[in-house]
Amino acid sequence: MFRPRVLAGGAVLLLLTITAWRLIESSSSPEIPFETKNKPPPPAPLCPWRDPDADLKLFFPEATRCELETRVLSGLRLELARRLGRTPTGDENALRVHRIYRDHDPIGSILTRRVKGAFGAIELVLAVNADGQTRGLRLQRLREPESVAGTLQNPDWLHSFTGKRADSPFKLGLDIPDVTGESRGSAEAIAEGVRSLLILLAASDQSGLQSRGVPSHH
Amino acid sequence: MLRLAFRNLVRRPLRNGLAIAGLAVAVAVLICLSAFGDGYRRALGTELDRMGLQMMLVPLGCPYDAAARVLKGRTLENSLPGSALEEARRDPAVAVAAPLLMAALPRPQEGRADMWVGLDETALALKPWWRVKAGEKWFSDDASVILGSDAAEVEMRAPGDWFYSPETGQKLRVAGVLERSGTSDDSLFFVPLRTAQSMFQQTNRLTAVAIRLRDPALLREASERLQRIPGAQVVTLTEMMGTFLNLVGAVRTLLFSIALVAVAVSVLSVFNTLLAAVVERTNELCVMRAVGASRSQIAGLIATEALLLACAGSVAGIALAAGIGSGVEHLVKQLLPLAPAERLLSLTPENLLQCAGIGTAAGALACLYPAWRASRLKPAEALKAA
Repeated sequence: MFRPRVLAGGAVLLLLTITAWRLIESSSSPEIPFETKNKPPPPAPLCPWRDPDADLKLFFPEATRCELETRVLSGLRLELARRLGRTPTGDENALRVHRIYRDHDPIGSILTRRVKGAFGAIELVLAVNADGQTRGLRLQRLREPESVAGTLQNPDWLHSFTGKRADSPFKLGLDIPDVTGESRGSAEAIAEGVRSLLILLAASDQSGLQSRGVPSHH
Repeated sequence: MLRLAFRNLVRRPLRNGLAIAGLAVAVAVLICLSAFGDGYRRALGTELDRMGLQMMLVPLGCPYDAAARVLKGRTLENSLPGSALEEARRDPAVAVAAPLLMAALPRPQEGRADMWVGLDETALALKPWWRVKAGEKWFSDDASVILGSDAAEVEMRAPGDWFYSPETGQKLRVAGVLERSGTSDDSLFFVPLRTAQSMFQQTNRLTAVAIRLRDPALLREASERLQRIPGAQVVTLTEMMGTFLNLVGAVRTLLFSIALVAVAVSVLSVFNTLLAAVVERTNELCVMRAVGASRSQIAGLIATEALLLACAGSVAGIALAAGIGSGVEHLVKQLLPLAPAERLLSLTPENLLQCAGIGTAAGALACLYPAWRASRLKPAEALKAA
């Protein structure tokens, strides 16, 4: 007889507490006029892969499927700091890898990254062979002036990244063809972006960090 | 009697629980609707007041659509002549007339558009919520840009950086980055008005002029004068608010009728529960009558059970409304023509009491027949039948 009463009393008390809490919360309103229909996007959004069909055709024409893996690299920060030569950024705690397969055999990966160009963000699509060697690079989005964009999207310049590995040198003018004037800042950002991606991928591969993949493209 | 009624309810937890749940849902819907109506009216009024605008000059077309699009940072298909601004500023009743030129440059590959807004210094008077996160609060020169918080993050820009518009060939220096406000400003690129007009080949054209009057009491006469500006029409924010409230009011009436159906269903559910309890407990009630309970005591017992059910349903309904309020608000904001950022669900003690009262009254209504029937039981007949 005692137990149901205690339970009912407890339930009523819980309901009243929730109600009071919600009432208190609802009384504090932000002083912001006219909210947009959608919630503001999260800060520093991840770089999406905008055109998988075209990139697969370009870099992995033999591919039959693709899986997205998210590798958590927070346990490798010390090693990453050593290899990158700088403190890893918050975004580098995780790496999104699009694993490319021909039937059941992995033949490589596609990685994307947003880097700070001289006139706006530049988005890279980096194709890497299964052995960690760069297969190709494409700039999927940039807002540089025409002359700069022309230099950076020059196939010869982009091709100079082919064959690079995580431990390869990326010095502009020595290992990568130099560019001049306004293009230089963006070119350096691209080279650093490619180098960082290769290091993150190599470190995660060597540590056996492979999550279960989710099909991302067929 | 209260203890006895409570024990009777606890004896059939599933059946009574379902009746309580039905009533709780109906009460929660009522509370949400009632709170939403009051909250929307208050929030819309507060935000329009806070903007310090009384009216907008917009190009000919649907004035409400135009004003709503401008307030939400979207472009219009038509534009105003620059002379409209001069004429508005010459009007003696006008304290501030802030011109705006908006343009969208679609980026189909990214599934979005660059939204550019040209402003002059008067805009600061109408944007009191602008807070600069980094850099300057205003343009250093004509070739500078102020970025909304999200725009700066996506483009990885900071004050002093270059920013380029490939579609218009304009190079700009980032003067400042705004703090996140949760408004459409977060994703906009602000440039000086002249720069915007030159970038988009809209020399001496405007999307809208936002107007603050010296005295809000002058609204009517100022509106009549400004209405005569060629190519422009005036929309007052009071009219806009009235239109939105009418729209919302019509929807609210429809939803209220649905909520009343829910209340009716819950009354039937409580009625069914009580009637079943009376039928099941015929012998028990007859014994009570036989040992001296009066008709009114039996009716009172059933009524007490009904009121306990109704009270529990109302309390659960209040808790449910408080719990799902945010979700309902989020859903409603997606559908509203002009959604203020403030809380739309204003759960005040008055509307909570009103709705709980309706829930309790529903319980009282549902108990009338079962209580009457229980009080009319004849002990001898019932015991003989048993």
